[in-house]
Amino acid sequence: MPANLRPRPPSCTEQVAVSLGPEGPFPRIRLRKVLERRWLHYAFLSRDHKLSMVANVAWLGPGLEAEDTAPPCTSILLVHKRGEGWCSSQFNTLTSTPLWSAFRQPHAMHAPAPLTLTSTATTPAVELQLARSSRPCTSQCAWLAPDQHLRWQSETGIIARGRWTFRDQTFDDVEAIGYHERVRGYWGWPELGGWVFGFANDPSGASDSPPPTAFVFTLIQPRGPGDAANGSMMVWRNGRLRRHFPRRCITFAVRGQLRRNKVQQAPALSNLFGVPPMEPIPQQLMISARMGDDWVTYDYYCDAAARVVIPSETSLRPFSVHEVIGPVQVEGCISGEHFAFDTYGIAEFAGGADDG
Amino acid sequence: MTVETAAQLLKATVDELSRRAPAVIAAAANQLRGIILGLRFGDGTRIELRADHSRLVVSQPNGETPDVEVYFDDRALNLLFDLERRPVDQVWEQSLDVRGDREQVLAVWRTFQVLSQRGSGLRAVQSLWRSYRDRDPQRWGRLAEQPAVNRSRNPQHARNTGWRALDYLDRRYPEDIAKTSSTVGGAVYTDARSLWDGYESKPWWRFADVADTDLMETMQACKERVSQEFQRIVPDREPRAELYDLMREYPAREGKGLRPTLTIATCCALGGRDEDAVRTAAAVELFHNGFLVHDDIADESTHRRNEPTLHEAHGIGLAVNTGDAMNLLAVDAVLSNLPTLGLARTLGLIHEIMHMCRETVEGQAIELGWIRHLTVPERDEDYFHMSTKKTGWYTCISPCRLGAICAGETDPGKLDLFTGVFRLIGIAFQIQDDILNLLGDEALYGKEPLGDLLEGKRTVMMIHLFREIGPKQRQRLLEIIRLPRTEKRFEDAEEILAAMKQAGSIEYAVEMADRLAHEGVRRFEEDLTYIPENEAKALLRQIANYVTTRPL
Repeated sequence: MPANLRPRPPSCTEQVAVSLGPEGPFPRIRLRKVLERRWLHYAFLSRDHKLSMVANVAWLGPGLEAEDTAPPCTSILLVHKRGEGWCSSQFNTLTSTPLWSAFRQPHAMHAPAPLTLTSTATTPAVELQLARSSRPCTSQCAWLAPDQHLRWQSETGIIARGRWTFRDQTFDDVEAIGYHERVRGYWGWPELGGWVFGFANDPSGASDSPPPTAFVFTLIQPRGPGDAANGSMMVWRNGRLRRHFPRRCITFAVRGQLRRNKVQQAPALSNLFGVPPMEPIPQQLMISARMGDDWVTYDYYCDAAARVVIPSETSLRPFSVHEVIGPVQVEGCISGEHFAFDTYGIAEFAGGADDG
Repeated sequence: MTVETAAQLLKATVDELSRRAPAVIAAAANQLRGIILGLRFGDGTRIELRADHSRLVVSQPNGETPDVEVYFDDRALNLLFDLERRPVDQVWEQSLDVRGDREQVLAVWRTFQVLSQRGSGLRAVQSLWRSYRDRDPQRWGRLAEQPAVNRSRNPQHARNTGWRALDYLDRRYPEDIAKTSSTVGGAVYTDARSLWDGYESKPWWRFADVADTDLMETMQACKERVSQEFQRIVPDREPRAELYDLMREYPAREGKGLRPTLTIATCCALGGRDEDAVRTAAAVELFHNGFLVHDDIADESTHRRNEPTLHEAHGIGLAVNTGDAMNLLAVDAVLSNLPTLGLARTLGLIHEIMHMCRETVEGQAIELGWIRHLTVPERDEDYFHMSTKKTGWYTCISPCRLGAICAGETDPGKLDLFTGVFRLIGIAFQIQDDILNLLGDEALYGKEPLGDLLEGKRTVMMIHLFREIGPKQRQRLLEIIRLPRTEKRFEDAEEILAAMKQAGSIEYAVEMADRLAHEGVRRFEEDLTYIPENEAKALLRQIANYVTTRPL
């Protein structure tokens, strides 16, 4: 039997007989270049919006001279509790194996599988059963510099149930809904510039069904010329990708600055290293998308943020990913169907490694 | 303040800007220098505007022919301020009239340009103009398109207001995001900005420059925040009546809040969080108050901030002990930054605090030496040297340097730039304080009138006086200042004051303070260009200019 042909898991609720192509979530080829990167990204918000988590597991290419060694892997978990702030691991979170990914094939819908992320200090931690409820978007690619690119693919509507540990508090059987992404490519942080990214799920759906509406937006702002930015907004309805607004059909605007006191730096170790100050984070983010008669508006108010400081391999300034949580109002119309909902969303404002 | 007439509106605007944004007034006065501007309004009221050093003086016309005359009616006033309504497309007939020499008219135009462009962003100024406009809105010309304030679910909004995100932020939510309870930031209106309009990307981290902010509002907020921290630092245990209550009561007396504002603003200007600087600012206040308690004993002062000094109220023994305890607690407060700021920054803070204390006690020693040895220094530079050490470091220089360290800036070269700028500002500020002690209102100034003369304090005026007077008068005045404070009469102090007025010592000091302050402002603009133009730096700019526009 070919390696990529697997028997159907017993808990499978959807008929998945075969899966073509690589097993995933990434091609089997080894990371070969020094700045070649792969990521798996997870973000979840509990249904009551009190708990949220963001986790990232990243592999960095080892370079040709060290071909036989495993690529360096860093993993970080941040858990936020409304009213109490963030709790973060260092870059050495313990992860379950194999690491859960919606892009690991074959992968049935609605079939729970474990994802465990535990800080070596034991808190924060999550022990989740994740189940897909939606389909992924088509893969996207951003060109950053002559030999640099970033490729990503997202899936919304991931349903998570399980135990969350925040400082000395444990919360059992928390149901959350979220988002998963795989990223790969080859880039230096200064060339990448920065990005604005986020997602929102309509929380009104049943716990065993996909959110009625979900969407993901991305705006990558490379160091290059202003018109080289790449972005999109994608809208899912009932688990299916229904509309992809390309970059010419979306606009982003911001206003105000989030109070710096609301931003917590992570991992905690970075506080000892004299990290350069962060850039101010916008307070309000407004996105509009329109294509033909279809339109969406996303109105986001940043409420709390964590700055994840990522050392840059090619510049003195670190790259900062600001994970931001806040209330969001979404309304829109796709194929004549009007929708509107209020929820909480997670967004990212990332950048800051460019010394120039 | 009730604003009923256009003249009152202009005066109130200048008064507000003088208190809240001195840098704007200084820039406007710089344009208007030497010109008397007569303003006549549609409601029949008139005022005169002229520049006095870096201050704008609004007064009633005194019959003198102004260099430039401007007539405004309410519609034309709209050209100056008001962010909420669009300016009229053109000046209406008989709405605006300007007469005068061409160069001077252009200078007047630039003055109003500075006042309107830089001043109108302040919420307080907007509020003032809104209250005047709302008395008779119809006279203000065409209204801008009325925005929909409520967030409606009607998708029609997308079509009515344009679908671009920038339009949404500008038109659907015209009221700016509510000012949060922060110390620094949020005192000025901020426009929405586009990150991506479908064709052009502007990095999310590039914010528009902010050149001015509301000094008064921010100083008050910083003072209150540090005061809370101060109360938290002082232990709640016995002996209360003889120690801890005295420590709490003394700093709670009215003060400007200059030091806490400098520390917090510098930290924020360099990208730090205001919370990171609050503990340090409270520690500086503790040191400052500890020094004041001891200083009052050494100077035999009777009043501080409109109330009896601590030793007057509770005796010298308790006062000395309270001052010692304040210094001790201040060290503890600095050390308690360790868990939040880390080792490197906390060590930097301790190093800076020790330096500040050393400079202060050296300055105090120099001044006490002059008094003990009954000498008056001959050169102004001697006063600058003493003043910088005694008050300059803990009033201006160290608060800035400490704020920078809280933000993670430990490069000595960059810290020394603050020293260069705020040394000059600090001396100017001290000279002005000395002038106010002679001429100012006790209720405003907070110290006993002529207290410096009774103490025999060697001020710039005193040094100038002893340089200018003849040997006979010098001998007479030396006899007075050599008297112990308890033996000096109020008449003696008044005799010295009269001599100073006759010798032009006060004008000399005013000019000197003005010159030093301007030099400080110039160095601020030239030396601190590496700090991005954010609201916190704007606050530092206002403080630097506060010295140039302070009413004397």
